[in-house]
Amino acid sequence: MIALIAAEWRRLTTTRLWLWGLLAALGSGALTGLLALVGPENFTPPMPGLHTPEGVTALLGLLGFTAFVPALLGTAAVAGEYRHGTVSTTALFAPRRWTWLVAKLAAYTAGGLGYGAVATAVAAVGLFGAAALNGVELGLPAGVVSALLARIAATMAVYTLLGVAMGALLRNQVTALVVVGAYLYLAETLLMLIPGVKELYPFLPGGATSALTGFTQLADAIAEQTGGAAVALLSAPAGGLVLLGYALVASAIAVLVPLRRDIT
Amino acid sequence: MTGIQVRGLTKRFGPVAAVTDLSFDVTPGTVTGFLGPNGAGKTTTMRMLLGLVTPTSGTATIGGRRYADLPRPTATVGALLDGSGFHPAHTALDHLRVYARMGGYDAGRVERVAEETGVSAFARRITRELSTGMRQRLNLATALLGDPRVLLLDEPGNGLDPEGIAWLRGFLRERAARGCAVLVSSHQLAEVEQVADRVVVIQQGRLVATATTAELAGARSVLVRSPRTDLLRTCLPAEGGEVEEAGSGALRVHGLTTEQVATAAAAHGVPLYEITPERPTLEKAFLHLTKESR
Repeated sequence: MIALIAAEWRRLTTTRLWLWGLLAALGSGALTGLLALVGPENFTPPMPGLHTPEGVTALLGLLGFTAFVPALLGTAAVAGEYRHGTVSTTALFAPRRWTWLVAKLAAYTAGGLGYGAVATAVAAVGLFGAAALNGVELGLPAGVVSALLARIAATMAVYTLLGVAMGALLRNQVTALVVVGAYLYLAETLLMLIPGVKELYPFLPGGATSALTGFTQLADAIAEQTGGAAVALLSAPAGGLVLLGYALVASAIAVLVPLRRDIT
Repeated sequence: MTGIQVRGLTKRFGPVAAVTDLSFDVTPGTVTGFLGPNGAGKTTTMRMLLGLVTPTSGTATIGGRRYADLPRPTATVGALLDGSGFHPAHTALDHLRVYARMGGYDAGRVERVAEETGVSAFARRITRELSTGMRQRLNLATALLGDPRVLLLDEPGNGLDPEGIAWLRGFLRERAARGCAVLVSSHQLAEVEQVADRVVVIQQGRLVATATTAELAGARSVLVRSPRTDLLRTCLPAEGGEVEEAGSGALRVHGLTTEQVATAAAAHGVPLYEITPERPTLEKAFLHLTKESR
């Protein structure tokens, strides 16, 4: 198994995907820093400033919102095996198929954690740097901000796992990317417009992510526009568990389903 | 000694029967040609042997075990599959290294197979830029990482230039001489005829015939052109040949070699303008083999 994980890691690091991942991580972190520098109070429409807890969580929430990027990278990497036709060779070298899928999940979870670490570290520098430059004291204590950043990094790792699982299930690279991207970015938000379904939101991946990152503005905004009461999100640990549950279920399906499929 | 055993192998994809009740063996130290037209079920059979496709019924085993049950599958079986690819951004060397890691083979092994298959000449080029022949060599190098005792090659001649094909033949013969069991599929008889000891012929997923290459040679014919075809028509049947018209001033002779035809003609003082050995097409060989088996 160690050999398989090492092989997957080598596969990941010898393609340019890791470079794109690094750039995206740096970019999303830097974007958070830039927004902090501009100051949420100067946004259109204006949002609470960095000196308020809401302002800080809003910015971190936006960073958490970019977790779909590592998910897409994970999807692209796994579905790429089918697209490039390397899957037969891989299956020959590891005929018990669950072994290489587990190896992939392990390697990419590590990759996702790395992504999260880079993105949040850059964001942290940006956030604290912008506060210092603008002479503002952040609305949340440094310890709380760090904890939120760590949760976002964990979210990104879990999203990568979700992405890998979806890529293994759907196999067609383009379809997989569209499905994962559209769901995370669009479908879930649209679902919230349906009364009733809205109540499920805390238990959907996006809702669980919001709970984990403490970002409630999206739920609040939709509640405001649809005229209903805001949906109460789960507590952060519960949100984390729900998210982890999704990742585990997706991984289990990704490991079990290909066992039965013919590779032609 | 590790051979290949196929017993009552059947695969249906929905209503389509790809392979039906197929049985054959490949013994160590021999090259077996696996022949059939495109779509006959060769690839499906090979993929069943490798555990990529699950048989509907029957068994396909290597040394008595299913591929997935082999302790170190790639150290036992090397497979070259039609349509297997590479990550376009990988260099040939990256590809070999990823799979060497997976199989647990060291850097020395990577270097050796690259050397042996000629991959070293383009090891640092990215796979997107490789020609079909280079890709075949890289696939073969990957298959050889574990120094396997059994080789399964699906249409290995595809994309190889004549030099590459000649090299491949020599390579397969040498492997068989070292005791390997080799199964090579092709839709062209000429491609495997020179290298195979035996052929297994399938059509529409069913076994048509198994034969030694010598038996197959019976399907060959000789084209002779002469101003005295009238004389040839009497003297060649006397030697055991079967004669048919092949246009004006030409005959097609079955059952005799070029040497036998030339000797008989000389003995009767018949001038020959042309004498050409003819390789049968796969279809003709099928007809010949099915006639023989009847």
